Amino acid sequence: MLFFAACLISQANLQAQEIDMLIKGGHVIDPKNKIDGIMDVAIKDGKIFRVASNIPANTSKKTVNATGLYVSPGFIDMHVHVFAGAEDPGYKGFEISNGFGSVAPDDFTFRSGVTTVVDAGSSGWRNFPEFKKQTIDNSQTRVLAFLSITGYGMVGTVHAQDTTDMNPTTTAFIMNEYPDIIVGIKAHHFQGHNFFPVDRAIEAGRKTNKPIIVDFGSSTPKLSIEELFMKHFRPGDIFTHTFSGNAATNLTPGGREPIVDVNNKIKPFIFEAQKQGRIFDVGHGGGAFVWATAINAMKQGFYPNTISTDLYRNSRNAGMKDMANVMSKFLNMGMSIQDVIVRSTWNPANVIQHTDLGHLSVGAEADVSVFNIREGKFGYMDARGSVLNGTKKLEAELTLRAGKVAWDLNGLSGPQWDAVK
Amino acid sequence: MMRIKTAGISEFFQHQFIRLAQGIVAFLVLILITPTVHSQEIDILLKGGHVIDPKNNINSKMDVAIVGDKIFRIAANIPANTSKKTIDISGLYLTPGIIDMHAHVFHGADVNSISANSPGGLQADAFSFRAGVTTVVDAGSAGWRNFPLFKTQVIDRSQTRVLAFLNVVGRGMVTRYDQQDVTDMNPEMNAYMIKKLHPTILVGIKSAHYWGDFTSVDKAVESGKLANVPVIVDFGEHSPPNSIESLFMEHFRPGDIFTHTFSEHAISKTTGGRESIVDVKTRKVKPFVFAAQKRGIIFDVGHGAGAFNFNQAIPALKQGFMPNTISTDLYNLSMNAAMKDMTNVMSKFLAMGMGLQDVILRTTWNPAQVIKRLDLGHLTVGSEADIAVFNLKKGNFGYMDVGRTKISGTEKLEAELTLRAGRVVWDLNGISAADWQMPASTN
Repeated sequence: MLFFAACLISQANLQAQEIDMLIKGGHVIDPKNKIDGIMDVAIKDGKIFRVASNIPANTSKKTVNATGLYVSPGFIDMHVHVFAGAEDPGYKGFEISNGFGSVAPDDFTFRSGVTTVVDAGSSGWRNFPEFKKQTIDNSQTRVLAFLSITGYGMVGTVHAQDTTDMNPTTTAFIMNEYPDIIVGIKAHHFQGHNFFPVDRAIEAGRKTNKPIIVDFGSSTPKLSIEELFMKHFRPGDIFTHTFSGNAATNLTPGGREPIVDVNNKIKPFIFEAQKQGRIFDVGHGGGAFVWATAINAMKQGFYPNTISTDLYRNSRNAGMKDMANVMSKFLNMGMSIQDVIVRSTWNPANVIQHTDLGHLSVGAEADVSVFNIREGKFGYMDARGSVLNGTKKLEAELTLRAGKVAWDLNGLSGPQWDAVK
Repeated sequence: MMRIKTAGISEFFQHQFIRLAQGIVAFLVLILITPTVHSQEIDILLKGGHVIDPKNNINSKMDVAIVGDKIFRIAANIPANTSKKTIDISGLYLTPGIIDMHAHVFHGADVNSISANSPGGLQADAFSFRAGVTTVVDAGSAGWRNFPLFKTQVIDRSQTRVLAFLNVVGRGMVTRYDQQDVTDMNPEMNAYMIKKLHPTILVGIKSAHYWGDFTSVDKAVESGKLANVPVIVDFGEHSPPNSIESLFMEHFRPGDIFTHTFSEHAISKTTGGRESIVDVKTRKVKPFVFAAQKRGIIFDVGHGAGAFNFNQAIPALKQGFMPNTISTDLYNLSMNAAMKDMTNVMSKFLAMGMGLQDVILRTTWNPAQVIKRLDLGHLTVGSEADIAVFNLKKGNFGYMDVGRTKISGTEKLEAELTLRAGRVVWDLNGISAADWQMPASTN
């Protein structure tokens, strides 16, 4: 009898504490699961345990009041450069690969709601293992990667021209060694008037069944993006720096062909390309986001598939700033919060073939972003330093990575100081 | 003689005429040119902000004019048409660029190192400008042996002004064990590095994480005496803890710095700890702490990941004890925890009741004096134009300490615009930029 009573009591205790953390009263936006309303999110053992209305607070060890806030899957920033290191190649250039041009992921992610970043080709097959050891294994942020088609990654502009070091076979070999981390291949900054690096990247993509992402258009005269999309790309391949320029800003004979014509009209084949599964990524960066292009494109009904930062040394303190700032830009151009969230969670997860990420399904790793949308007067700069005025700003309040609080702006998860002891 | 004289006289008149003519032409040219020269004599005019410059006792609405990389003029109502560019900062606060006196920025790839050439040290530019900071002082990440690497790898490459306390240990902050190596604490080498080689960058000596007696502190002070610079001490890992009264009154010189002022450690027998300035039972500031501050000992915040507790800071402030300098102890473990960045730490002091002027003083002119860099931390005409422009947000905010407890506040500082040597290096809302529909400008 006593034993039975003891069992009952311990069971009751167990029940009372079955949830580790309960995020209560927030507006949940989980596009994959078509959730868009007030819901509670329960987390247990680092995983999503339950998403439902009115989960009782007394079933959780800890409850966070998210009333008035939004709750979404942790953001995925699909285009960053985080292979920070101290190697000086001795050439002028971006110094992205193991260099000073890259930033450290944890410095920027959680404070803007990001839990996963995808490095866009900073390393190549020759130095990916070093990138992994140095950065990926030492970051709290989940760091995935596109491998550069050049062996040493994005060392500098000079190295991006070395067609002898674009080897699909060795690239695929390393990709197959790290199938959970390497999500695709990057082709970039090629000045030759041909599609050589793109085609080499696609060859590696075919061998591994993964997409490529292309920073296109460094040649003079310009190469046709229609040809890129329709003759070279497969469905699922990614064009980044989508809103980089228009006729007014891009007067040189060389460079990247804009997606809009001289009258800022979207070129018709762009819609066709997107319909056929080509992915248009923002990749804001230090020089690749121009208001006239983005605003006119949005007005004509062209939305990018994925919103990303192209975070690196030259973008972090300029118009780009961080993921929350880039997402806010789209809110202020008139994109709905739901459309912004799908483009920074479930869409990129699909594009990088990581369908385990970007949603709050029960059993998924509890990467969660709790944010508020500030109302006020805000200004947003593009890569040319011109301003769009707006009234909304997304601000990361609480970020969880695998169920652990990785960012808490206002102490939502903590008790008042004098309530302790 | 006479002819010569006559000739001389006529020449004299000729000269006078030519001079007069030249003068008239010059005058006319001046009249023509002056308005344009005049209208462009200022490069950037920050107009309509509330200026707080504690060194110069300014605390009012003023305009700030910049020419080149220097402060040109501070006055009420400087006309906008005298400047090439005018930025409207009405409703905002303008202060000298913030000095964060305790940070770790010796970023590098040695994953086995705490903060020397390690990911544990952060990239200065990733945190400084977005928090109004223009100068950071690295607190002992490098020692004399690896300072040259720190300089070429980080200091010379940063837009942020990076100064440094040299670690008393030659190898800097590589491992906890290195910090115990008394054979690598060489006052002559430290002083040589500071005085002879890098007097404009190295501002003092750091002693940290020492487990034993006062050897590490004393070696630092010895170095400091040789180089005529202050020492900064992290007194955190002595087992058993050493007396802070003895540190302040017997080992420190006036001007030496105690950092992690508001930490409260559970003193462990195995790992030791730091004696707190507020008695943990009575919650009273220990009397010798006031005496020490009066004696000229500097109390620095050094928030960090484990060194700021409300149950130290709140009673201390209530009892009239104010830290001399407010700093972050920015490194990989503090950046995403309760510390976050300089504006968050400053806002925390606002939330505890410190006035804005007092907060600005402790993050500009006070640290400048402590590190003996009187050229920094103020807006005196002719000084380098390092400027922070803040928005003081109103609302409901929370601030955490390292124990993850919180206080509520109604104000929060947000860095709107930061200039380093006259150049805009951070512009949160594009207040220095033109609307996107304006024709392409030269900005």
